[in-house]
Formats: sequence, C-alpha cells, structure tokens
Amino acid sequence: MVRSEGEAMALTEEHVHGSASAHAGDALALAAFGLARRFATGGSLWCVAPEWRPHARHVAVEFVHPVVVGKPALPAVCVDATDAVSSLRALVRPGDVVLSLGVAGDRTILDIVRRVPAWGAMSIWIGAGPRPPRGSVDHALWVDDDGTSAAYDGRLVFQYHVLWELTHVCLEHPGLLRTGSAACDAAAADVCVTCSDEGRLGEVISVEPPTAHVRTASGIEAVDVTLVADVSVCDLLLIHAGTAIAVVDDVAPDR
Amino acid sequence: MSETTDFLYPFIESNEDDVGSLLTDLGRSARSKFLSSAALRATTLERCTASLAATATAMARRLEGGSRMFCFGNGGSSTDAASLADLFSCPPWGRPVAARSLVDDTAILTAVGNDVGFDLVFTRQLVAHGHTGDVAVGLSTSGNSRNLLAAFASAASRGMLTVGIAGYNGGDMARSSHVQHCLVVDDDSVHRIQESQAALGFELWRQVQLQLATVTIPAARPIAPTETG
Repeated sequence: MVRSEGEAMALTEEHVHGSASAHAGDALALAAFGLARRFATGGSLWCVAPEWRPHARHVAVEFVHPVVVGKPALPAVCVDATDAVSSLRALVRPGDVVLSLGVAGDRTILDIVRRVPAWGAMSIWIGAGPRPPRGSVDHALWVDDDGTSAAYDGRLVFQYHVLWELTHVCLEHPGLLRTGSAACDAAAADVCVTCSDEGRLGEVISVEPPTAHVRTASGIEAVDVTLVADVSVCDLLLIHAGTAIAVVDDVAPDR
Repeated sequence: MSETTDFLYPFIESNEDDVGSLLTDLGRSARSKFLSSAALRATTLERCTASLAATATAMARRLEGGSRMFCFGNGGSSTDAASLADLFSCPPWGRPVAARSLVDDTAILTAVGNDVGFDLVFTRQLVAHGHTGDVAVGLSTSGNSRNLLAAFASAASRGMLTVGIAGYNGGDMARSSHVQHCLVVDDDSVHRIQESQAALGFELWRQVQLQLATVTIPAARPIAPTETG
C-alpha cells in the first residue's frame, strides 16, 4: 500500500548503507529519527499492544517519565481500550505516531497500520516471528525468531528501549528535525510518493451518494464515489483526483 | 556502559544538515547496544545458574500444588511484572499456573495510594489475597523500592515464597531477610538491567515448566500448598 507521506519512506536504507537489506540497527535509527521529527513538531506517540498489553504501557512510561534524569518528558500514551481502532481514530491527529506491538498476524494491528496513513500519522510496528507484509508499516522493528519468547525474554523490550535512547539523541540535533530543513528536503526529494498517481488513502466519515466525506492525511475532503459500490462509514478508499477509485479490502482473515 | 559516545559530538560546531551521518551513527549505536544487551543477558543467566535452579525448584514445588503467584513492580518494572504473570498464566507451551499482576487494577492502586500511602499498594493486596505457600515475585532495578520491600515483608510473614529480581548490586532487596531468593543483574543501566531481568524471568518460567512437566497433573482437589514457605 502506498504511504500517504513522503518523509518516512524517503529516509530509506540507502541513506544509511546503500543496501536494500538494512540491519535491525538501521531500522531502529530510521524509526527514531522519524519519531523525533514528529515529537519536535508537536506530535504525540500512541502505543497499542492488543496481545502484549504491558509492553504498550512500558513504552509510554519510558517516554513520559524517563529513567535518565534530565531527559524531557515526551507525550506518549498507552491506548488500552477494548476497541483500539475506534479509540485511535478519535485520538490520533496528523503528525502523530502510532506504535503497535504484536505479531505479524495480529488483526487489530493490521487494521490500525492500514488506516494510519489516512489519519496523517507515522506507523511503527515492533514484533517478533514472521514479519508483516513489506510496505504495510512505515517502520518495522523486528525480532526474527519463532515469535513465542521474544515478548518475554528481554529482546522485545530492547527494541523500544533503544528506540527511546536514539530518539533522545536525535532530539539533541534540532536543526536536523525541522520539517522543511535542507537536510530533510534533500532526503525527501528522492522517493516522494505522496500524490503520485498511485493514489492516497481516505477513511470515510459520511456518505451521501455520489459524494463521501473522507479523512485524509491532509484533512477532510469530499470525494466522488460513483466508481465504487457500497461505501460505508470507516471504509478505506483509494482516492485519485477527487474520485474514489477503489475500496481497500478489509484485513485478511486469520491464517 | 562500554559504549562510545563520540557520535554525540560531531554536530556541535557544524551546521546541522547531515542526516546521513546521524543515521549512520545511530545505527552503529543501536548495534553496539544490541551486543551489550545480548552479552549481559548471557552472562546474567550464567552467573545466576545456581540461584535460578534453586528458585525455580522452590516455585515449582508450590505452584504444582495449586498455589498462586503474584507479580509486582513500579514503572517499567510493573509492566515487566505483568508480562511475567502473563507468561506464567497464558504460556506459549506447558501448564498455565495461577499467576497475576498486582499492578493492573487502577482502582485498588489509587484507593490504597490515596488513603494509606503508595508504600502499601502491594502489601494491601497481599493481605487480601496471599496465603501460605503462594509465591510473591517483585521486580525493581534499584532493589530499593519501599513498596516492594514492604510487600516482601508482608508476604514472608504470611508464609509465602518471596522472589526478588533486582539490578545494580541488588540494593535492599538483596540484603532483606524477607526476600528468600534474590536474582540480581549486575549492571548500572536501567534499560540493560530490565532486559536481563526479563531474561531471568523467562528462564525461571522455562525451568518451572520443565519441573511441572515431570509431575502428573493432579485431579481436581482442594487448593492446599504442599509445604509452607
């Protein structure tokens, strides 16, 4: 799926190594930089772990109440609601970050990460076991094992501990975090996919055929839904030139 | 902490326009931390081999008889305690045991914290739920958390098995007569300590499971500990 913003995809592995297969350390570096940029421009971090709930709390407390004296408190929240998708839909604002923790088959997380571009946010997914589909999330921080022990033996915790540590290093370089700075512009120039002819994502707010109001990364828009059938509230639409050209499928059933 | 911090400084006197250098340094730093964390987990498990075995045996003896396990801690350690309880109660394999966290109920935590004081938020729950033979597991990186020390004293007085998982030099938990088994991660980074504490908890669970697997699962019977703590 096309991401709604150029920034996250622009800072690809090539900026680190010129290698298509970035090491896990490089993935952490990219995620931390993206997260720091969001914090620097007023974004919040929303943490959700449907099957590993304590981990979402751990991430939030790291950022809000740092263990290192003198580090600034940053706005991170554990979303521990029964219906995480609905809660996040209400809470997340453009410029925020949604951090999910869970295995690649977690259907709640799959539903969250596919909607995040329409909400104008960046997505990070920390997990273990088989990886989620490439391109389904802005930043995948993964423990490659059988997926049953990493959540309990310290390896998953390590991922978000280091994410926190590197994010604070980035925040010590405010000149590199300003949106629109020369550095970021240069980085974004390579692979800006936003507004390409592949389309953008919008989440339906209301429908009155032939028009629907949708939420996109750039705000609420009215789009023509003549080309797509049976549009409902909360559906994800692929939008091009003011027209919905497809309804994005729901999360695939469990394996 | 053996990690170099040189990478923190190259931007101080230069214009900040080199994202690539920052990302390269961050990636290098992450790899260094990965190696440090993995090494500490390995050395901690090795150094604690004997105490892990003794602790797991003591826990298995109680849990196989139907005793319950209570986990607690503060902050990040509270979440690690909750994960440990989840591992024991909803394991990826083996026998589920009656483990739960004492940090999940915000009504209880705020009621006791507001009315009595935060030092007793865990003690109050152990007074309500703890019985002879039950297991109390507390995690603290410093080993000095007052509400944990109070909880361990209460648990020990009630005949519970007490297990502490600490960091640094073990703090007061390592010196407390109320903590029968204290596993210590010998490091001074809170994050690396917590990662190794999780490794200790996972190894405890694994060894308890191996011991539980050697006994026949008993038929339904009244919950009664096989021995007192």
